Amino acid sequence: MLSADPDIRRIMALRAIESGLLRLRWLAAATRFEIAMRRHDRALKYAYNSAQPRVPRGQPESGQWASDGTSSDSVRLAGDIPTGDSPEVPKEAPPTTRLRNIAIRALAARFGPGILVAAEVGSWIYDHKEEISAYFDSPKTLEELQSGAETPEKGYDIHHIVERASVNENGSEDDKVDAAENLVRIPRWKHWQINGYYQTESDEYGGLTPREYLKGKSWEERTRVGLNALERFGILRR
Amino acid sequence: MSAALDKMSTAELAKIFAGFAIQQYDHILIGEVKQTNRYYHKMKAVELELKSRPGDQRSVLIALYDNPNPNVKVKAAKATLAIAPAAARQVLETVAATCYGPEILEAGMSLTNLDNGIYKPT
Repeated sequence: MLSADPDIRRIMALRAIESGLLRLRWLAAATRFEIAMRRHDRALKYAYNSAQPRVPRGQPESGQWASDGTSSDSVRLAGDIPTGDSPEVPKEAPPTTRLRNIAIRALAARFGPGILVAAEVGSWIYDHKEEISAYFDSPKTLEELQSGAETPEKGYDIHHIVERASVNENGSEDDKVDAAENLVRIPRWKHWQINGYYQTESDEYGGLTPREYLKGKSWEERTRVGLNALERFGILRR
Repeated sequence: MSAALDKMSTAELAKIFAGFAIQQYDHILIGEVKQTNRYYHKMKAVELELKSRPGDQRSVLIALYDNPNPNVKVKAAKATLAIAPAAARQVLETVAATCYGPEILEAGMSLTNLDNGIYKPT
């Protein structure tokens, strides 16, 4: 019965914990950084001009950019984004390896390549700089990824396009699975996350994991799915 | 149907669904498969409870499209594909095109599987 479910109780408890000072401090710092990043993005998107006048204090849209008559989009910019924030991420590393791994990947997923700027603030993030840098590689051609597999590099892993776990048990595919054309060098965290995806149950495969769904499928079908995953994850350019 | 879920309001179920998705995201980020799958089943139970209610109350999950957690967005979109296909698909396309984490893989593969007919939301 879910009323006794520890996860439901945990979620309820988390709601209370989330109001705790430590988490608030962490979130506040992360939010300030995100706001600053968004402001930067918007400034670029809307052709930011620091000389553009603002609506004077005391008026309904006080502080917002006054229209310069050229773009209706620019009117809302200042109102959307609070001022006075500086880019910042948590300076102190979470206390355990597991929490550090969650935090750094959540930060990378949340802020994108901008997290590398934050590396100047929190020295603990530097421990992951190769993985972070690799995570934001631009998509590469299949030939480039295959060629990379010949040269191991920090922050990257060698990945099997057709999973080793899916090969026929009679050994007939052993050579193919380790052949050069099935091996690519990809960002380490994406490698781990693709492996996780293959083992995650999903509605789209009728409640099976992709790995279970692909078991017994043709080599071509498994290759198609493997390449799709690389493309969808921004690793492969076709 | 779980007796506990049966007693919850639809709004509370949506909160629980989001809570599960947020918890699951931490496990997805670091590849903890067992825990990820555990939350899949918990979210599925909530989804089925909502679906079983008069008028198919999965529509309450549409409000989660705007949740800042990308896994909540993706899971809410997938849970509502059958009742709001265009809007749910748009969420998946936006996540796939604009996010950075593992959510782009799940959203993207869902789109591929929708297009090739492997994924048939019900």
